[in-house]
Amino acid sequence: MAAVRLFALPARGGTRLVAGAAALTLALAACSNGGGDTAGGGAPVEGGTLVYATGDAEPTCLDPHVGGNYPQALISTQYLEPLVGRDADGEIQPWLATDWKVSDDGLTWDLTLAEGITFTDGTPLDAEAVKVNIEHLQDPDTASSTGWLAVQKIAEVEPVDETHVRFHLSEPDSALLESLSMQWAAMQSPAGIARGMEENCAAPIGTGPFVVSDWVPQQHVILERNEDYSTPGPQAENDGPAHLERIEWRFLPDPATRWAALQSGEVHVIDNPEPEAIIAAEAGGEFTHIDAPRPGSVNRIELNSAQAPFDDVRVRQAFVYSADVDPGIETLYQGVATRSHSPLSSVEPMAYSDPSLFVTDLEEAGRLLDEAGWSEVDDEGYRVRDGERLTVRFPVSTNQSVAAEQSLFEQIQANTRQVGFEVVLTPLDLSAWYGALAAPEDGGENQYEAVSAPYTKVGPDVLRILYHSDSTVPAPSGYFANLSQVTDDELDALLEEAARSTDPEQRAELYTEVQKRVLEGYYILPLYDQQNHFLTRGVTDVRTLGTVSTPTFVDARLTS
Amino acid sequence: MTQVLALAARRRDAARAAASRWLRTLGPGGAVSAAVVVLVLVAALWPTLLAPGDPTAVVPAQAYTPPSPAAVLGTDASGRDVYTRVVHGAGQSLGVGAAATAIGLSLGVVLGFGAALGPRRLDAVLSRVVEVLFALPSLVLALLLVAVLGAGVGPSVVAVGLATAPGYARILRARARAVVQSPYVRAARLEGVSAPVAFVRHVVPNTVWPLIAVATLGVGQAIVWVSALSYLGLGALPPSPEWGAMLNAGRLHITTAWWLTVAPGLAITVTAAALTFLGRRLNAVAPA
Amino acid sequence: MTVLRWLLGRLAAAALVAWVVATVVFFALRAAGGDPSEAILGGPGSQASEEAMARVRAEYALDEPLVVQYLLQLARTVTFQLGDSYARRRPVAELVGDQLGGTFALAALGLLLAWLLALAVATAAVRARGPVARQAVGLLRAGEVVASVTPHFWLGAVLIAVFAGGVGWLPATSSDNSLRSLLLPAITLAVPVAGFLGQVMRDGLEEAHTAPFATTARTRGASEGWVLWRHSLRHAALPAIALSGWAFGSLLSGAVVVETLFGRPGLGRLLVDATHSRDVPLVIGVVLVIALGYVAVMTVADVLERVLDPRLRERVEAVGTPGGEVVA
Repeated sequence: MAAVRLFALPARGGTRLVAGAAALTLALAACSNGGGDTAGGGAPVEGGTLVYATGDAEPTCLDPHVGGNYPQALISTQYLEPLVGRDADGEIQPWLATDWKVSDDGLTWDLTLAEGITFTDGTPLDAEAVKVNIEHLQDPDTASSTGWLAVQKIAEVEPVDETHVRFHLSEPDSALLESLSMQWAAMQSPAGIARGMEENCAAPIGTGPFVVSDWVPQQHVILERNEDYSTPGPQAENDGPAHLERIEWRFLPDPATRWAALQSGEVHVIDNPEPEAIIAAEAGGEFTHIDAPRPGSVNRIELNSAQAPFDDVRVRQAFVYSADVDPGIETLYQGVATRSHSPLSSVEPMAYSDPSLFVTDLEEAGRLLDEAGWSEVDDEGYRVRDGERLTVRFPVSTNQSVAAEQSLFEQIQANTRQVGFEVVLTPLDLSAWYGALAAPEDGGENQYEAVSAPYTKVGPDVLRILYHSDSTVPAPSGYFANLSQVTDDELDALLEEAARSTDPEQRAELYTEVQKRVLEGYYILPLYDQQNHFLTRGVTDVRTLGTVSTPTFVDARLTS
Repeated sequence: MTQVLALAARRRDAARAAASRWLRTLGPGGAVSAAVVVLVLVAALWPTLLAPGDPTAVVPAQAYTPPSPAAVLGTDASGRDVYTRVVHGAGQSLGVGAAATAIGLSLGVVLGFGAALGPRRLDAVLSRVVEVLFALPSLVLALLLVAVLGAGVGPSVVAVGLATAPGYARILRARARAVVQSPYVRAARLEGVSAPVAFVRHVVPNTVWPLIAVATLGVGQAIVWVSALSYLGLGALPPSPEWGAMLNAGRLHITTAWWLTVAPGLAITVTAAALTFLGRRLNAVAPA
Repeated sequence: MTVLRWLLGRLAAAALVAWVVATVVFFALRAAGGDPSEAILGGPGSQASEEAMARVRAEYALDEPLVVQYLLQLARTVTFQLGDSYARRRPVAELVGDQLGGTFALAALGLLLAWLLALAVATAAVRARGPVARQAVGLLRAGEVVASVTPHFWLGAVLIAVFAGGVGWLPATSSDNSLRSLLLPAITLAVPVAGFLGQVMRDGLEEAHTAPFATTARTRGASEGWVLWRHSLRHAALPAIALSGWAFGSLLSGAVVVETLFGRPGLGRLLVDATHSRDVPLVIGVVLVIALGYVAVMTVADVLERVLDPRLRERVEAVGTPGGEVVA
């Protein structure tokens, strides 16, 4: 072939140099696996500094009440604690609150707090403090989004006495405790909150095993051990202060660099590893792999059912039948991610799954599209109807979708093309992506037909946030959560009943029914759990919270 | 009859002589660079000639296979043939380089000629404009533009074009001024040749050649720039096989699937290097 | 008198740059879409309430006509009131000041390494004698060109994989300014610039080395080294010094990629983050600092040039490149 011969011409010193350099590089790189420092697993020691490198965006405010995203949950797990926790079976467990009772009409909740707890600044954790926290979440000046949703139905907080607090709700909320278990509704010192947003964003004060001591933006956050720690949660074994003296929290956006830093021993824990790094870590002896899917929704593709072409269920079904995601997931994630056929994460005990709905059948897809009126095909092979092409606009968030996921979307694009879908993938940064999804101000058409927007919330109540018709009403910013735009009265009724129900069995039944309707309506194409992997080296006893699946270092010890 | 044959023979000899003169001028390095550039152009304009396959054909079962007789440069994460993608990517990468250079050149011509040939005041103003454009580092400008126009090849091209314009302007201005002040042109003007005619007859031919030489360098740079934007997630849209995007995607598998970086990396490097070599040769032989 | 005029001219240039920067950034980020009040309230998707947004609009005068807002921003910029970052709620001056040192150290080391590398290669090329050496020089020349078109993100990834992940000699990431931490990122930045500077320096050296002055000196018995040092290097240095001005600009551009890749704090990363969150005051602050820094470096390069040899100015302009910078 002409190309190959040309590159071999001796007259070109340049190519020889490049070839030589490439060969040398590859030779050195091939020796790289397994090289590096020794000492991955020795005896655990007391003290020391753990270095955590995160690939998530650096929070703009360390107080998770403000805004409320996952990076904030990750770091605030070390210094703030919620009222209740959750165990591996999904059961709510006592933490800062030890007991609870709900009235028959579901409108009054009584919580009992643990005795004698103080925040690290000496302020007591009493009923008044809980009131201040809830009000902080509900205050528009705080600009809370996730936490605010969690306490949306609390109309009033009444401190009954020091350790008893009563919530008066505007409507029954069976998910209240699940909502309060989230990091975004964690308890902070009222005195800390009173300092004002700027100071509280720099160093929130809580009850956790560590305390924020310094924050140099873009560099690190330094967390020091809380010597008076006394509130271990359901996943902690240790009773007193943490073993570690200090945590250095660093921000490393590049996944290859994070992995290299872990291999060389510069950091002890990394998050968001690439599938390859996970495979390599599991093969090598000195790494530990923690797989902790986030609660709430799975990663799924939502199809906009409010406008053409996906306002017709047959077209949605055809898309699902032709997407053929299984081979792609297998190869791109190399076995690290498991296919999901449910709207809920696998850590939710009430998750309902139906693989039979998600088969690959190109013939059936074609037949469905014909039936729906998309029977003509244009010159390039895309289906048309009344002069309109079967176009699916799919904005992709480069911040939220890892490389493997973006490749998976490319495969879906190629696969659905075979039956005539034109999928237009547009990579966008976070601001532009939210802009593409926002409801148009003039009430016109949306700018997307398909999108992947994971949502993290503890408990099946996330189904209400994602699939109730109320969630199609946009916030002032234009944002709304029900991106598949499901407006089904029966579904709404089921969700409202589940929210009112206090009987766990009835709740489970109702939520199963909800999930069935969502899946059978082909509003979503479930892919896999929200991937949440951590790799560690040189440290033991790292656990994840049963609530938001973030790692906690309360029991962690460095190994020499 | 013999006269016709003799004429044809003379023409053919003349052509051969011209060709060998050209080759000698370019030198072995320049000739090879030119050949490489031609090859890349062919790949850009008629990719199916060199790679008949489909660059977007997804075959998950064959993902990450190393180079073999079936796939000379291996396959990528979705089982797509890397060689085919590199060839089909030539059009995008080269097109981007050419488009950005065209934008930069046009703007540079306006700024440079305007400054050299216009009144003093205009020169002062335009020179300041050029200085300010220089002061905004290219990637910074590109980030801003992409924030405004969105991601994708178009905004990247505009950004790179804007960033290269001041360089062309500077060179053009220097060259044009040198020509205008040369005794040859001065004499022509004294003889009554009008300004526009002098411009066309003297200034243009003497500035165009070095500009072409320098533009080939620019295309090479532009290709690399756009790949940097792809790294920051602001480049080409999937599934287009843009070299920079391929390089960035392959970077994560640098130890396990080395062919994913070597193939597009070599493509970028060899193309840009060939263009640079060619540019330098052309510059060296340009009529002074 | 002329020095004063020149200085005033430079200050005027700096002011012009500041004005253009503020204008471009302001309108660019506005045109980028996204509600500014959203950016202020903690970024996109913040689900802020109506009251909160109303309050922010009043405070930041966001309901005024665009021109009024622009003029307000301009007034703030020229009086160096850089304001507070929308997303981080801290003074822009503080945020920029924190990151300045890191980026500056990186760019300075990068420039130094580029110079050393280019000088080494150029000198070796000129002093090569004999067929083997000549071949090696051919390789080096090719290497220069290849280096000048090497993308930062690829070179950096290879260096990390080999030296950090592989043999573990150097750290993959760091945030201090020690030599050990700066070495890999600085090399990544330096290589493309070195490629370009090397080409220019070698051209200059070759030319100077065969000039009449050099020949005369050699017939008088001067050694090659002396000729090189006293004569040729000055000539080689001139175009390189002129190019160092925009080499610095290219290093700053490269820093955007390199800082992200190596996870180093700095102006580059700050800029990328700020652009993503449409944080207007922060973007203006960073770009302003970068642009003014560039003007300062250009001025220094200008002075150095005039000190060394004003006669060669015209020629220097002619060998400039189209891009004006080398960014890979």
